[in-house]
Amino acid sequence: MAETSEEVAVLVQRVVKDITNAFRRNPHIKELILSGTLNPIKDLHLGKLALTKFPKSPETWIHRRWVLQQLIQETSLPSFMTKGNLGIIPAERTQQLIREEMEVCGEAAGRYPSNYNAWSHRIWVLQHLAKLDTKILLDELSSTKHWASMHVSDHSGFHYRQFLLKSLISQTVTDGSVLEQSPLRSESTVVLPKDEEAVASAEESRVNLPHLLKEEVEFSTDLIDAYPGHETLWCHRRHVFYLQHHLNGRFPHSVIQLSPADSPGGTLSDLHSIPAGPPTSQAMEVDGLSDFSKQGYSQEIKRLKRTPAPDSLGLEMEHRFIDQVLSTCRNVEQARFANAYRKWLVTLSQ
Amino acid sequence: MKLYSLSVLYKGESKTVLLKAAYDVSSFSFFQRSSVQEFMTFTSQLIVERSAKGSRASVKEQEYLCHVYVRNDSLAGVVIADREYPSRVAFTLLEKVLDEFSKQVDRIDWPIGSPDTIHYTGLDSHLSRYQNPREADPMTKVQAELDETKIILHNTMESLLERGEKLDDLVSKSEVLGIQSKAFYKTARKQNSCCAIM
Repeated sequence: MAETSEEVAVLVQRVVKDITNAFRRNPHIKELILSGTLNPIKDLHLGKLALTKFPKSPETWIHRRWVLQQLIQETSLPSFMTKGNLGIIPAERTQQLIREEMEVCGEAAGRYPSNYNAWSHRIWVLQHLAKLDTKILLDELSSTKHWASMHVSDHSGFHYRQFLLKSLISQTVTDGSVLEQSPLRSESTVVLPKDEEAVASAEESRVNLPHLLKEEVEFSTDLIDAYPGHETLWCHRRHVFYLQHHLNGRFPHSVIQLSPADSPGGTLSDLHSIPAGPPTSQAMEVDGLSDFSKQGYSQEIKRLKRTPAPDSLGLEMEHRFIDQVLSTCRNVEQARFANAYRKWLVTLSQ
Repeated sequence: MKLYSLSVLYKGESKTVLLKAAYDVSSFSFFQRSSVQEFMTFTSQLIVERSAKGSRASVKEQEYLCHVYVRNDSLAGVVIADREYPSRVAFTLLEKVLDEFSKQVDRIDWPIGSPDTIHYTGLDSHLSRYQNPREADPMTKVQAELDETKIILHNTMESLLERGEKLDDLVSKSEVLGIQSKAFYKTARKQNSCCAIM
């Protein structure tokens, strides 16, 4: 049974020597935390240090999520842990935890290219600690923009932006439809959502989705022009275009019909069933990065067939963009990606 | 998107001489840094040695891309970057640096120079400024003069070598690499790790 701080010292040594087994052997770190021997905040700090040397370490990230979960479910920890040692109100503490996690993920992402573990942890934090709060999503979108522009082949980094946009769409459309669905609502009687604060914040953080998506397209154009020959950028463009046309088919009057694969409340494993991109025909040899499951794939196909074709103006602009790239680029890869993108656009409107 | 080193060299008849270099090894762990620096010097020298006068080339080696410009007057520059850094900007940087260098340092000093004797201080600030390619080099159509088709692309360091020449031999014979670095190289090579050269 874990009892002393000497056991904690053993743990530290173990982390340095062998990260894979650090959390598995005796004394078991979870026991140390649940018994109050090891302060979970200190454990998070230890994990942060470990990640500077092992930025991918799955065990470290998995354990980190367990610790965070304990911290937000205050009942699981001895009461002196949550009150005495931390001494601040829960909501503020959660905000602090979120900020800290964003920083840890950012550092780890910089230490290893396309660090899937770091980015998926970041997503998990937004889902479970931040509960996909709109303001936080917007902050993340703007604060990761520069990083993305300096890591143009980091697929995970751009996938994160796609997740943010997707979540903003589902959060905003949800708020919007909730407000729309109460036509009898007068000034004084607010039936939904649950409390007035939520209504107020929904109004305040009423996100201008078309504007956000347009900005993202401009961002994509900017990067594709400045850094020719990066598949990640073209892949990102497909996602953004898809989200735009998706939005045009649903906003503001249609009913939200989110497939389970697209549910923002899903767990980490759901990330695999969120399509990395709209389904492409087998001829698209370029985009081999999609990682969607069969379930996600067929649901996306169904959704594509249900929604109206993408607006012709949007398509036209994209074709003009492709023409511009092809006429000025001298990079072989860039030309290849541009042509593949064109082919993809064509299949989208069929 | 990262630049790791920027060097100015002289391609002499018999050997290539390092004149001045700037490094950014902050992303490497503390104990690796001096070895990494030595390997970048070694690599830069080797590349210039094996490149013809009046040529530009980019050499891929693992996750690095080494861009080299050897002028007709034998002054040469090498920038070692990652795969994301746009090569067009790298060559713009080299052009600029060599131009500036040739105006500040007398030609007479080139063949016999070394980092200690050469008086040129611009490299560190250029390296630092060019870490963000768009701040340092705003996209203008005018700058797209460089004919990218003339840039030779090598997929490995090996393709620069003569027939039968082995990189391992060149490493062990090198005067630029310390004992530590050579040992490091050997172990990495054996493990086939991702840091075989750097």
